[in-house]
Amino acid sequence: MKKKPIEALNEKAKAIERLAEGEQATAEALSQRRMPQGCTTIFDTGWETNPRPTYPVGNCQASARDFHGCVGDCWWPAQMPDGLTNHRDFDVQCPNVARDWRNLKYD
Amino acid sequence: MRWVPLILATMAALALGLAPRAEAGDRYYYMGYGVVQVIDGDTDTIVADIPVKGAVRNVDLSADRRFLYVTTNRHLVHKVDLAHNRVVSTADVKTDGWDRVMFGFVLAPDGRTAYGAFMSRRADKGEVFIGKPVVAQFELDTGRIVRSVEVPWGVAHLVSVRDGSSIYAFGQDLYTIDTTGPELRIAATQPILDKGMNMLPFWDYTFDNGGIASMNYYTATSMGLMIVDQKTGVIDDLVLKGDPAMAYSVVLAPDRKRAWAVMDDLTEIDLASRSYLRSVPIAEGTCYGVNVSSDGRKVYVAGGGSTLTVYDAKTLKPLKVLQMASDGMDLRRVTF
Repeated sequence: MKKKPIEALNEKAKAIERLAEGEQATAEALSQRRMPQGCTTIFDTGWETNPRPTYPVGNCQASARDFHGCVGDCWWPAQMPDGLTNHRDFDVQCPNVARDWRNLKYD
Repeated sequence: MRWVPLILATMAALALGLAPRAEAGDRYYYMGYGVVQVIDGDTDTIVADIPVKGAVRNVDLSADRRFLYVTTNRHLVHKVDLAHNRVVSTADVKTDGWDRVMFGFVLAPDGRTAYGAFMSRRADKGEVFIGKPVVAQFELDTGRIVRSVEVPWGVAHLVSVRDGSSIYAFGQDLYTIDTTGPELRIAATQPILDKGMNMLPFWDYTFDNGGIASMNYYTATSMGLMIVDQKTGVIDDLVLKGDPAMAYSVVLAPDRKRAWAVMDDLTEIDLASRSYLRSVPIAEGTCYGVNVSSDGRKVYVAGGGSTLTVYDAKTLKPLKVLQMASDGMDLRRVTF
């Protein structure tokens, strides 16, 4: 039997495992399509894997210039404020990321 | 009294005819966050700030070129009076208790409605309901949905063709939506992703290009351009030779023989030979939007970050850098 990569230790984690028992795959990994892969769950933008050999490889430069574009549509949702649901007025707090980033307040 | 309707109609016609228009020349509209900034194309200076609520995403121009419709935060639609540089009305597509987000927006030819691609959700007594993704026609005054057709998940952009009788909905496939009947219907489906084409069609410059939408896409080896003629609906698919240039957006030069692409670099493309001509890195960094003056002599890159850079199209030397009030999504041109 294949070893599980992570193991539930507390009751909450075990409860989640019980919930997931018998669960089948519901999503298709785009990597199986042999497509350039990107950063978003909205509409795959594989082209953004910038091939230039300079830093930062595979991203906008400076990354701050891509911040608002990502926030507004909830791209990179783990790394950015979620502009579609939880931080809809993010643009008011921080209209210019390079200038206003010290104003950022989000959980 | 029978003359009253005629007199009123005459007065209305005169009022329309005499309504002020923006001064002649190129105006660029910088689509920012909480603001749309207006740049005069002769002096390349900011001549007006138009406050809007939210982060700008989609834009369309009314047929009479008097109003720009600007969508923000994926649910608000602001009507901007271009003669007075101010918002005259705002509609919200969150109606009927549904929380909607709109990806893709085009005006309908009737001038009263528009089409959007929507995802939706609502909560009722603690239970969450997710709506089917649709392309819907809605009222510009109220945001109320008039009619809709279910579409597969992932539609990100709309282009109106053949006088609005069809809408092209770009997602993982390209759906042709027939608008001529009582109900919207998907009349045809063409593959995009399954053909190995990967695109982010948020920028198309349809009115800037004079009725031609220009969008770039990528395969595993090349960049291509999808050129959509709004009048005929014909789509030209141009695969460019050589290693792909990285670009968010592409605008056509006025002669339509060349095009300009932008991301970290500004790149000139020869459409006849389907090849790259020149490329310069943008000192200010990544830009989302690119535009070109109506005489083809100047190229503008902006958005992403809070700068707008003006280039000499002949030398590709930067002429000017404007510091804008906010970061931005796009730069659109209206020639009056």
